[in-house]
Amino acid sequence: MSASSFSNWTRRGALGAMLGGVAVSFPSLGFAAQSDKRLVVIVLRGALDGLHAVPAFGDPDYVRARNGLALQPPGGAGRAFGLNDLFGLHPALKTVHGLYQSGKALIVHAAATGYRERSHFDAQNVLETGATAAFARDSGWLNAAMAALPAGRTAGRNERAIAIAQQAPLMLRGAAPVTTWSPSPLPDADSGTVARLLDLYGQTDPGLSGALTGALAANAIAMDAGMAMAGGGARAGRQIAPAAKAAAGFLKQPNGPVSVMIEMGGWDSHANQGQETGQIANMLVNLDDGIATLQTELGPVWEHTAVLVVTEFGRTVAANGNRGTDHGTAAAAFLIGGAVKGGRVIADWPGLAAGQLYERRDLRPTIDLRALCKGVLRDHLGIAEGALNREVFPDSAGIAAMSDLIVG
Amino acid sequence: MSVRSTTSRSALAAIAANRFGYGVRPGEIGAIAGDPRGWLKAQLRPEAGPPALLAQLPPAEDDILTIGRYFLSLRLNGANGANARARLEREGATPAMVEDLTEERYRSFFRDRYLAAVTARFNVAIASPKPAFERLVAFWANHFTVSTAKPQIMSLPQSFEREVARAYACGRFSDLLMASTRHPGMATYLDNVVSIGPNSVWARQPRRAPRTPMAGGRPTGLNENLAREVLELHSLGVNGGYAQADVRALALLITGWMYDRPAPLSYLGEAKGTRSGPQMFKFEAEAHEPGPKTLLGKAYPEGLDGGTAALRDLSRHPSTARHIATKLVRHYVSDEPPAACVDRVARAFLDSDGVIATVMGALIDSPEAWVETPSKFKRPDEFFISAMRAFGLNEAPSQAIAIGLERMGQRPYFAPGPDGWSDMADAWMSGDLVWKRLEWSQQAGERMARADINIARLAGDVLGPAVSAATAQAIARAESPAQAVTLFLMSPEFQRR
Repeated sequence: MSASSFSNWTRRGALGAMLGGVAVSFPSLGFAAQSDKRLVVIVLRGALDGLHAVPAFGDPDYVRARNGLALQPPGGAGRAFGLNDLFGLHPALKTVHGLYQSGKALIVHAAATGYRERSHFDAQNVLETGATAAFARDSGWLNAAMAALPAGRTAGRNERAIAIAQQAPLMLRGAAPVTTWSPSPLPDADSGTVARLLDLYGQTDPGLSGALTGALAANAIAMDAGMAMAGGGARAGRQIAPAAKAAAGFLKQPNGPVSVMIEMGGWDSHANQGQETGQIANMLVNLDDGIATLQTELGPVWEHTAVLVVTEFGRTVAANGNRGTDHGTAAAAFLIGGAVKGGRVIADWPGLAAGQLYERRDLRPTIDLRALCKGVLRDHLGIAEGALNREVFPDSAGIAAMSDLIVG
Repeated sequence: MSVRSTTSRSALAAIAANRFGYGVRPGEIGAIAGDPRGWLKAQLRPEAGPPALLAQLPPAEDDILTIGRYFLSLRLNGANGANARARLEREGATPAMVEDLTEERYRSFFRDRYLAAVTARFNVAIASPKPAFERLVAFWANHFTVSTAKPQIMSLPQSFEREVARAYACGRFSDLLMASTRHPGMATYLDNVVSIGPNSVWARQPRRAPRTPMAGGRPTGLNENLAREVLELHSLGVNGGYAQADVRALALLITGWMYDRPAPLSYLGEAKGTRSGPQMFKFEAEAHEPGPKTLLGKAYPEGLDGGTAALRDLSRHPSTARHIATKLVRHYVSDEPPAACVDRVARAFLDSDGVIATVMGALIDSPEAWVETPSKFKRPDEFFISAMRAFGLNEAPSQAIAIGLERMGQRPYFAPGPDGWSDMADAWMSGDLVWKRLEWSQQAGERMARADINIARLAGDVLGPAVSAATAQAIARAESPAQAVTLFLMSPEFQRR
């Protein structure tokens, strides 16, 4: 919806009447935010090869175990960055490396959800629901976290979270008010038609009523942010900079969402995944661009932002028959942003010798991803431990939230 | 069932057309009302051949040549372009033939082919007198997803859909599974054409493996991708009772399942490929893993027969019957498939040894399929096709189809992954997607209003007795004909089936 039609809409003065009884509030410009903490979740779909993004150069078995996929050790143009005695960072992740050096990027390695099979779809389901098994529930942990936000952090917001996507990702589905947004090149819907549809849906169809109401709320924020039609292309895909720009547009608004979710597909590197350059390197460049875009576009809000980057599982340690990797288990995750206490790799390194691998093929998981997510939600967004252990990540009391992730 | 006795014949006709077909064309309800179930079952027979619009599209070999030409053009312009060129000239290519292979040329070629394929597929569905057959084809094309989202297969989804999903839509499931696994589209999409036995001749003597125009050089070993998805998505289902060892065993069993590649020189020039995917299937014995393999506790011999027998066994496994039945009931009846209905359809699958027309017959005869309250939210493709049918149109322009569907979140032939497009309402009823539907409906309203249609009568014609008083009133009170069309398209009765 463009600025002009939105003002038509409000000029008609029909807004209150149309939305009577519908749980959405429209922005009051200039509203002072109660809390400025922001969370961006980037989901890498298809399974990131964590050992490719964050190679374990210091592991004596690294080169042999990767069976032709190992990167050159740090030291020289176009080569990986060194992080510490054990780990390096893929040369495509330039922005992430700069943030790591300035203490604003944290890496968690050999991490996985509780899922131990190798189906993308089940694994993404577990990653997004936060449950202990696939299809154990039909709503997502990020939505549950939004429902558990302390009251002071939700006042004055239209929606607590927005996905830069056409379809609502599972991680964001649930009872808390969230919506989806992507730019449209089509002419705006006529406000009179919208009003009639809201009335019709209100009488007969709660599902469509909720969807249309959510769309109106997102459009209202997008219009405030002056991004009604900006650029286009801001949705799940291999280029995430446009989505990152849209995300920043929402997050900068005082009445904008606490959290934005961005999806990035294309990580399923079964063949010819490359090394310093190539298929995964190109994907990492796009991810790095997305992080750089968030930092630039968020401006001062970046200081209060944490960006969590997670994937559904890792990949085999050894190359398969096509210089790619098949589905595996543990991978790396990233926590980046002005609010992050970074410059570290957190890992309980399992080793890459054949006997150290999970089922003799995958990087063995030694950290539960939920511990990372819970630490961020508790210390960055102020969500209570009890809610984290039950509603957000069901039956997870045994998995302690990581401490010390966020600047105090 | 009380459903049968209390639901009027015209209401049953509307359910048949909306739930099992692609929606009603004006005047059609009367023709269906005599025998809605019979109308559906009569459509579910194998075709003698594809409809004319689809028959004129290129076969798989031509898709493969086109993709190969494109990759070859990239390689000629790449770092080792001089070597690639020298090799072609050694094989008999003239410099002029090589010069003709420009990247721009094949890029635009793809766009034209893509639009032609999308247009033909949608217009066949829009005009079809057998919409239930068309929906079933689309169901199988989604079950066995081959997506253009992977650049290496760019134009193959259209030939795969026609040569596999359409050709075997109403036949035996085992033939469908076999045809899918052997088609170059699926085998390329899920990497089986580059999977070789770790102890095969090609693994031991790599130079015996042929070069391909694709990037990546020669394969050196196994790739599990297709085998895993055959088990997880195509046959048993993710909880169907297999383990990682079975994934590897099936991957080894189908090593060497490749296709007969066109001769290197045929990638130059304009020659059209003439063979369908099934005609191109080739078992490369030198890429096959020697020795017997054990899948789900049963030993299978080395060779083509081993993999073939394994797939036949998978196709008639009780887990497969249940998986397919669940997906069919979820697609046709409800996001939450009623257990009794799934049981009945799964039993028909096992009893008929997977004859799809019989399985569909059991579904059509299930009372759960005829409840009056619509329980499915239309996906964008269904919404688009049913809108065109409602207006009595026989075709839509190619750009309107491709761009319209992309904006509504379902770019044709671009499913995001091998599990295809979601069949669940919550994937499609997001704020953004409903908004995009509304914008599209408004455009459609402006266009159709100029065609001077009586939308109130059309709504009754198309939705049958199911149209609610609230919707009828909203349409009647619309401030303009265009708004009436938009409200009709966006009404709950038209959005659901």
